[in-house]
Amino acid sequence: MQKIIVKSPRGNSLASQLVSLYNSFKDLSFNEPRNFDLSNIDWFFPLLVLPLCAHINCFKSQFSKNENNPNHSYLDTVSFPLGVDSVSVFQQQVQAHKTFIPISVLKREKGPDRERLESIFSMIVYKTLGSVPGAQNAVHYPITELVTNIFDHSKQDRGFIFAQFYPKKNYLDICIVDCGRGLSKAYEEEKSLKLSDADSIVEVLKGHSTKPSVERGYGVRTSKRVVCECLGGEFVLLSGAAALVVNERQERMVELPGFFWQGVIVAYRIPKPAGPIDISPYLE
Amino acid sequence: MVTDEKYTIDVAKILAPIVGSRDLMPILAEAVNKADVHSVDLDFSKVEFVSRSAAHALLLMKEDLQRKWRNKKFISFVNASDNVQEMFRIVAANRAVPKTNDLNIKIEKTDINSLAKCSC
Repeated sequence: MQKIIVKSPRGNSLASQLVSLYNSFKDLSFNEPRNFDLSNIDWFFPLLVLPLCAHINCFKSQFSKNENNPNHSYLDTVSFPLGVDSVSVFQQQVQAHKTFIPISVLKREKGPDRERLESIFSMIVYKTLGSVPGAQNAVHYPITELVTNIFDHSKQDRGFIFAQFYPKKNYLDICIVDCGRGLSKAYEEEKSLKLSDADSIVEVLKGHSTKPSVERGYGVRTSKRVVCECLGGEFVLLSGAAALVVNERQERMVELPGFFWQGVIVAYRIPKPAGPIDISPYLE
Repeated sequence: MVTDEKYTIDVAKILAPIVGSRDLMPILAEAVNKADVHSVDLDFSKVEFVSRSAAHALLLMKEDLQRKWRNKKFISFVNASDNVQEMFRIVAANRAVPKTNDLNIKIEKTDINSLAKCSC
């Protein structure tokens, strides 16, 4: 099993974290198990932890950490790498570790129990960010839209979700991951469109759903608008070998040569809201 | 025997306090179909939030069950909070008059090395 030395990002931004993720996964066949060496990592963040977790769960990859580094006990605290897949275990973990939200694994076959786990996850995120008017909608909207996409489009039966609040930095990072067919393949299989990964992301932003109804296709675009325009956050959407990186100032499409994530990774950062929020102008 | 009485379904109990997933709507439809009545109230009193996708699926389910030839059901959404009502209104308005999605999207292209340099 190939050993991969995972490196820390050079900065705090989601873009820096994306570069770290890119360097960890590039030049490798996606669906082969690997041994991720995390001993050089000083701090862990959702955009790295969750794709690693998904890869370990989906492809039986392994990992090693530095037992002498106190920061590495964080991985146990958030239930890395297996995550939790039931409300009762989620509640036990939250009770035991208070400010840490465990990695949650959403399984299609669990039906309404999956919905309840997603609900409690989203409610804990809302509670963590504080209860200013309108925050509830702003937290729940992107989580629900992005998670339902996994079970509507990915052809996978598992999705992964994880969040971490940073009290000193006053923001919360969320990551949502699947190892499904990805955007490009979804357009090819559902609409016979041959698109590059970057063009598939653009189609998603235009609201062109892979489903026939013109009433669909709003989820990702409006979630991005809620995160970036309404909350002043950052947003990353990655599929295959391309990623969209958005902050308040600009939208950039990044080609990722030598890299391939079969499925979709969404990561976003929400600053803790200081005043009332109204997401309705961004829902179109 | 189907009666004219009303039957109430607690949506949060059947699904969850946050109704987000489109793919779970058949579970709710099954609960509605099992009721031996024409009119069914879907009670949202314990629902905190309904996603846009779930609101769309719920509206479609309502129309489909009402349009059926046999075992027709008339569904009402009751006790919904203001934000849940607002979501239904947004989706219903969009259903009536869909917005055109042909946006002119301009995204700057960059490479990973440039992103690495400017992202610290």
